Amino acid sequence: MPVVELSLSRLEKLIGKNTNKKQILDSLPFLGLDIESLGRNVVRVEYSPNRPDYSTDFGIALGLQGILGISKGMPRLNIRKKGNYEIKVDNSTSRIRPFVTGIIARNGSLDDEAVKQIINMQEDLHFGLGRKRKKSSIGVHDLDRISFPLKYTTTSRDHRFVPLNSTKESSISEILRDSEVGRDYGLILGQSAKVPIITDAKGQTISFPPIINAALTTVTTKTKNILVEVTGIDKQSAEDMLSVVVAILQGAGFQFSQLKVSGSKNSTPDFAPRSIVFDADPVNKILGLTISNSMLVSCLKKCRLDAVRKGKKIQCTIPRHRFDIFGGMDIVEEVALGYGIDNLKPAWPASVHIGEKNTTSEKLDSISRLMTGFGFMETLNSTLTSEQILYEMTNKDSSQIISVISSKSQEHTILRDSILPGLLENLSKNIHETYPQKFFETGIVFSKGSPIKETTNLACVSASEETNFSEMKSVLQSLFRIGFSIKCETKTLSEHALFTQGRVAEIIVGKKTVGYIGELDSKVLENFRIRTKAVAFEIKLNGLIFD
Amino acid sequence: MNDELLSHVLHDIEKQIIKLLQSTPNLTEEQLAHETKLSMDQIRRGVEWLRQKSLADVTDTTNLSYSLGKNGLDALKNGLPERKLVNLVKDGSKTFDEVRDSLQGPDFNAAIAHAKKNDWINIEKTDTGSKISLKQEPTESQDEHVISLIDKAQKPRPDLVKSLMERPDFVIQHEEKTKTVSLTEPGKNIDLEKLDSGAIDVEADVPHMHAARIHPLKDTINEIRETFVHLGFTEINGNLSQSSFWNFDALFTPQDHPARELQDTFYLKDLNAKQLATPTQIKNVSNAHKKGWRYYWDIQEARRMVLRTHTTCVTIKHLADKKPDEARIFSLGRVFRNEKLSFKHLAEFNQVEGVVVGKHMTLRDLMGIQKEFYRKIGLTKVKFWPTFFPYTEPSLQSMVYNEKLGKWIELFGMGIFRPEVTKPLGITKPVLAWGGGIERIAMLKFGVDDVREFYNNNLSWLRTATKCQ
Repeated sequence: MPVVELSLSRLEKLIGKNTNKKQILDSLPFLGLDIESLGRNVVRVEYSPNRPDYSTDFGIALGLQGILGISKGMPRLNIRKKGNYEIKVDNSTSRIRPFVTGIIARNGSLDDEAVKQIINMQEDLHFGLGRKRKKSSIGVHDLDRISFPLKYTTTSRDHRFVPLNSTKESSISEILRDSEVGRDYGLILGQSAKVPIITDAKGQTISFPPIINAALTTVTTKTKNILVEVTGIDKQSAEDMLSVVVAILQGAGFQFSQLKVSGSKNSTPDFAPRSIVFDADPVNKILGLTISNSMLVSCLKKCRLDAVRKGKKIQCTIPRHRFDIFGGMDIVEEVALGYGIDNLKPAWPASVHIGEKNTTSEKLDSISRLMTGFGFMETLNSTLTSEQILYEMTNKDSSQIISVISSKSQEHTILRDSILPGLLENLSKNIHETYPQKFFETGIVFSKGSPIKETTNLACVSASEETNFSEMKSVLQSLFRIGFSIKCETKTLSEHALFTQGRVAEIIVGKKTVGYIGELDSKVLENFRIRTKAVAFEIKLNGLIFD
Repeated sequence: MNDELLSHVLHDIEKQIIKLLQSTPNLTEEQLAHETKLSMDQIRRGVEWLRQKSLADVTDTTNLSYSLGKNGLDALKNGLPERKLVNLVKDGSKTFDEVRDSLQGPDFNAAIAHAKKNDWINIEKTDTGSKISLKQEPTESQDEHVISLIDKAQKPRPDLVKSLMERPDFVIQHEEKTKTVSLTEPGKNIDLEKLDSGAIDVEADVPHMHAARIHPLKDTINEIRETFVHLGFTEINGNLSQSSFWNFDALFTPQDHPARELQDTFYLKDLNAKQLATPTQIKNVSNAHKKGWRYYWDIQEARRMVLRTHTTCVTIKHLADKKPDEARIFSLGRVFRNEKLSFKHLAEFNQVEGVVVGKHMTLRDLMGIQKEFYRKIGLTKVKFWPTFFPYTEPSLQSMVYNEKLGKWIELFGMGIFRPEVTKPLGITKPVLAWGGGIERIAMLKFGVDDVREFYNNNLSWLRTATKCQ
């Protein structure tokens, strides 16, 4: 989950009306914000990826005002239609990044902390909604450096301009090759010869989406008026993203003017709220409450939505930036939040159900009990293991290897096809402990099938100077007799990678081989640095005691 | 704990020591070893056990011994400087300068000082300088006596050596600590013959015994499984390897969602599911994605095999196939995340998930079931906070208070499956789900603060791990 750092004193100011830090800290979790760490004035909170408006303190302050009852209902959004702010879209963009949208925000002031918050918002939006800028990305510009109308078009890779945080001109190719953002996001543009660009009426480049802005329009703490543009491959998600920015900038005190968008399937963004009409009854039913319609309305308003009673129904108005609200169940959650999760009292459902364990679990349980009775300690190993343990150290055939892609851990790169190598690894790690050492494990092993087969195996190993084949065969026989009521035989096996020649056998039930038993080969023991003798068996339980 | 400290009153070593000391009262450990033919190590242990039982006393004594230093060896051969001096003036007095020809530097000063101290010489000031003459026939001085004693490996009394010790590099002093063992009154009174009657020390410490055990994490898993069964839930299970369809698509997770990337999820190399689901299920899921997320839903992407990232894939498939009107089911087992391992993260861990289906089920009921679950496993202080899960709405997380750590700990999550998940699969009744990682609970139960401990299979830990609640 993403994290935002908040200053408590700033939050107090943004919320207004005599709030204190304790109230704020107590309320944050009830907005779904987990306190990750807390300093004297700084609190870091985790917020849900479906609430990008909580990526800044401006958005969080709006939420807190609601839940604390200081300011309820949907904040009204005024967007002036007047003004000559326009961006025209060239058809050539349709093949690479077809959509652009934007807004003019004026008369605001951005101090250092506010700039930090806006940057956090931008990064969050790029990562989440924007799918690492692929789907949509934002540019924020100093409005006063720009002449309208703007043009969203494409250009060749040798086009030059001065990129953000630089003083010298570079070509697009150079930016993609030499800058960090270029290398990180250049792939989005593929091999396309033409790349998207926004230029102003004077022909100055102001942005090279989705990579970098021009230095020309750098936003500083002196900036009062800004242009926000969002480009992307999906019109709705570009507008979703813009709506979050607008909600946050509104919280930061900006006033808005429309940016007209035209050309090539583009249009001026619409920030109109939506309405959902719903019955109070199902909402109460799913929450287990019986609250009145007027209470429901109040709950929704606390979540900064608008709501009115419409006869027996309720009409809820949802601001543009709350696109996380899909339908009725999302309204149920808003009601629950407005009602206060703390006020929801746990109940006990009256119903008769007889619980049951899965047969496999039950049988594995009884095997565990028997094996510990025989003096074997239960170990647990990952089903994900390494080639080194599973194949190299055991000299086993690795032709049927099943690998995972791009594992972050070298010890977890392939799926085990047997349990025993893991037990040998366990012995290897315990050579300084007292002997005898006896381990067993039950668990899933994998083999190629259609596309993959999972079976449950039991393996056990006994290591000491005195141990021998007979000891292990005794355990095997007793397990089969007491545990499974099955007779098993051991039949000489000419060779097996893990075991000593002449001291290894197949375990046969009926006419089928169900496993192997033997004394571990000295080479294998040496690979695991085990200095005592060791005997082991492994059996497949599927088809033996369960399907 | 010494394993030799078995239940007999006295160990054989102790008996041998007592026997010897009853006839020879004070002996050093070396002497004991010599007489009993036991090793020094055995003697030291035996003496320590006897001391702890107040049967023997140990006195530490420091023995001083001496050997000759460089100047001492020289004196042995050529005489001390003062001896050399008297030999020079034996046949008549000499001036300082004359003596200096034979005795130089510090030797000269030392010779004069010590010869005077021994009252061997007279010094007379004359016009031609000071003159040294023999006062009396010099007998053997104390220092000379000491040197010859040391040479003969006899021990001089420390007070006699003192003067020589003050002179540079004549004598080296060695300190040797010895332990002299004697019996206390009870020790002296022990009747060794009577001891062999078969009485044992029933109060003595004994070695620990190692039990073969169910693994501590498995113990917690079993407890949780039992608890679910007690609450009326029936266990279902499914494969660890799953198609992306059931792990993600069926749960309304869009195909470009960050959680589906290689860096979070383990994909199986070159393995694709041939059979995904029924044609209706595939069609409806595909439509839900197109409608809800507005993108081209790719069935090939849904075929990619993953190691399940949650047990929910098992639950949802069960519900989609069975479409129960009412049910309490749970699924428990290994899940996988492509994570860097740390004290709180594993790549493979255990999860449990319970699901309640029923026309009249409410969110408060789900909270109640959860609270009861916690009560049964010994966690009594529980509270709920809102949270977000991609496939439930509303979603809550539960916090339990840990007395030992003195703080609230986030445990299971819960929520009601979104209609975008249930509707396409033909599930019409509300589905309330709850669950989470099991290792976290096991960590609380076994007081473990590094989750990797559960998979280290460290034998000494497995042998001794204890449940704290």
